[in-house]
Amino acid sequence: MKEFSADRLEELLDNVLKPSRYTGGEMNAVLKPFDAAEVTFAFCFPDSYEVGMSHLGIKILYDIINRRPWALCERVFMPWPDMADAMRREALPLFSIESRTPLSRFDIVGFTLQYEMSYTNVLEMLDLAGIPVYSRDRTEGPIIMAGGPCAYNPEPLAPFVDVFQIGDGEEMMVEAIECVRSCKQSGKSRLDTLRALARIEGIYVPAFYEAQYNADGTLASFSPVDDAAPATVRKRVVLDLDAAPYPESFIVPYTEAIHDRIVLEIMRGCTKGCRFCQAGMLYRPVRERSLETLLKQAEKLENATGYEEMSLSSLSSGDYSHLTELVCALTERYADRKISVSLPSMRIDSIVKQSLEEAQKVRKSGLTLAPEAGTQRMRDVINKGVTEADLIRAVTDAFESGWSTVKLYFMIGLPTETDEDLQGIGQLARDVINAYFTVPRGVRAKGLRVTCSASTFVPKPFTPFQWQGQDDLDTIKEKQARLGDILRQVKGVNFNWHEPELSMLEACFARGDRRMGDVLYAAWQNGCRMDGWTEFLNYEGWMKAFSDCGVDPAFYANRPRGEKELLPWDFIDAGVTRAFLWREWQKAQRAETTPDCRKGCQGCGLKRFEGVCADR
Amino acid sequence: MKMLVVFEKTERLRHVGHLDLMRAMQRALRRSGVPIAFSKGFNPHLLLTFAAPLSVGMSGLREVMEVPLSEAISESEFKEKLRAALPPELPCVAVRAVDDRHPAPMAQLYAASYKMSVKENAEALISAIPSFLEKDSVMALRKTKSGEKLTDIRPMIYDLKALDGETVACTLALCEAATCKPELLLDALAKEAGLEARPRVICARTQLYGRDFVPLELL
Repeated sequence: MKEFSADRLEELLDNVLKPSRYTGGEMNAVLKPFDAAEVTFAFCFPDSYEVGMSHLGIKILYDIINRRPWALCERVFMPWPDMADAMRREALPLFSIESRTPLSRFDIVGFTLQYEMSYTNVLEMLDLAGIPVYSRDRTEGPIIMAGGPCAYNPEPLAPFVDVFQIGDGEEMMVEAIECVRSCKQSGKSRLDTLRALARIEGIYVPAFYEAQYNADGTLASFSPVDDAAPATVRKRVVLDLDAAPYPESFIVPYTEAIHDRIVLEIMRGCTKGCRFCQAGMLYRPVRERSLETLLKQAEKLENATGYEEMSLSSLSSGDYSHLTELVCALTERYADRKISVSLPSMRIDSIVKQSLEEAQKVRKSGLTLAPEAGTQRMRDVINKGVTEADLIRAVTDAFESGWSTVKLYFMIGLPTETDEDLQGIGQLARDVINAYFTVPRGVRAKGLRVTCSASTFVPKPFTPFQWQGQDDLDTIKEKQARLGDILRQVKGVNFNWHEPELSMLEACFARGDRRMGDVLYAAWQNGCRMDGWTEFLNYEGWMKAFSDCGVDPAFYANRPRGEKELLPWDFIDAGVTRAFLWREWQKAQRAETTPDCRKGCQGCGLKRFEGVCADR
Repeated sequence: MKMLVVFEKTERLRHVGHLDLMRAMQRALRRSGVPIAFSKGFNPHLLLTFAAPLSVGMSGLREVMEVPLSEAISESEFKEKLRAALPPELPCVAVRAVDDRHPAPMAQLYAASYKMSVKENAEALISAIPSFLEKDSVMALRKTKSGEKLTDIRPMIYDLKALDGETVACTLALCEAATCKPELLLDALAKEAGLEARPRVICARTQLYGRDFVPLELL
């Protein structure tokens, strides 16, 4: 194991970009004596400090672990490549921010998986820490855990991660660290500790399962090979979100994080049922926090952080029952302290004009809307229950309230897409611009800016589109070029799009199986890391990895799956049933919509969880 | 009423840049609940000025900032509240209440003292100090607003000595008319010692001074 040297670290810090990413000392960071803790948890975010510090999950779990006097949680982020290279050169092992302890000294090293294209960073971070990357090569040292939305298809990371947590972490994390604590106390072996963890609901230990494949490469069977492992791993759900722990303080970074503000999680889950949206399916059922709880949390967090901005977070804030009351109460309380309230994740059909006006009393920010598709037919296919009239009304309201910057998000490559749908995007952009000019000159703000952003559709597990193949690279590139031509004819619109290669790789991992683990390892060996950053994406390294492993990316990205095919993530019970998803997939192909389940149960499967949908 | 605040930016925070430090202080003041004055205008912000920005990589033992207040508050209450709102790595050392007409610390700045831990070639560097101090003039290329300029920095070096075998202390000019950064002195001293490059040092600013070398916060 490599030794940690504070002197060598100081020398490195003088020669890397943004050294304060690595030095800590922030307000509200928790500093505990490392050796006094009974269980130590290194919370790893496999991306840069600025990205990781914007993430709510870390804040929640950091607080939950550190609330326990016997446990300690410290943060670790992916070093920027210049720092990673310097650390490797100097044989300086990856360390935690708070106490600068090497990762290999922790009991648990836990990664949050927010995005498939951070997987190479997981391997890079383990290797920088001097921890063998393959689970099978580890006989001692920390247990490697992972959770977060991507853990719902854990298979591509199965060879590297010892323990996955599936679902809400608030309760499961406590059970996991208590389990590790008692195993440590009773001197249990690594294997027996993994067995004890596997018995916790929501936990998946990949070493205890075996996958068999058919001649055509599809999955033939997937089953447990250890008595401790359940055949089906059911996701964890925190039933009472209002009573769930929430941090009373956030760490306030020095260097600016992407989202550097107070976050109030007003609601978890979404009932709209957009068919492309994985979060909308995974985070079901909908659970709200009460107005009283949120106002209390806001007050504590403001006093503890001094932030100038509060952001209301959820998948669809407009659906929150007390949105206007909450925004009014917050603006009224904090206007004299010059704190602005922002509302990301507003759906077009639900934008409340009053909320918008309240929210921008202190500061004005851009308005982001996601119509997702250009025609009504396509929006019906994806079950995005908004109409063009909704969009035009929303932007007109916004223009009347003084907004002049609008971002529109679209996806291309959605199932059943035709040229008409691409033209529809151009038409919508034109209608938005026209809406601006219908607002009288004295009322509307100057300097209209409309940006159309088109991402490439990536089919995700546990969505009705999990059976759909992604468009191949050439098709995506053609569609991007076509859309570019269409939007060039609309005066005053900026167009940006995502790297199609990145979306293809994302699709491979999103629906990959264990064999994608070999591709991941090979790509990392080829130098791939920080793939989510355009400047670091090494597509050649990835293609070489696929060919060296004899794996065809099209098998994972572009191949449609059949009704009978066993999917690598079928052993996970994510709440929504396969029958519901298939039904939705059939309706999608007929462009039939499904109403919001607040208006009547659609039988998605969540009712099987006791109490969660009781009032609906 | 304004409050002069003396704070320490500890070694752990030496890489925190000036703008980041300023934002951290603004947030600390907001957390503290002391009556701070906001600017008027579209994007109201805290009116906060620092005597002299610290470069990235440098810590500061007695840094000075000025905080305009919207109403009066006692020094002890202010200090207590701000101390509680600051992380352990950024402690408030002292405060002094002054009236609104008190000149800005930046305008009174004259010099600063520094302490450098020399991490390589310390012996050679330190043994060059006596001969270096005997020189009447030391020409160095100084970066100014209008570009690089060859300047005699010898008159800007008020004090220079070794504290022990690997630590150098110095007092250098720091004001609008003439500033000698520690790196500039270090380059010149390394040259005198016959070293090819400036040795690696970790530098702390230990005190800011006004005229007659009176500590800035006492002026």
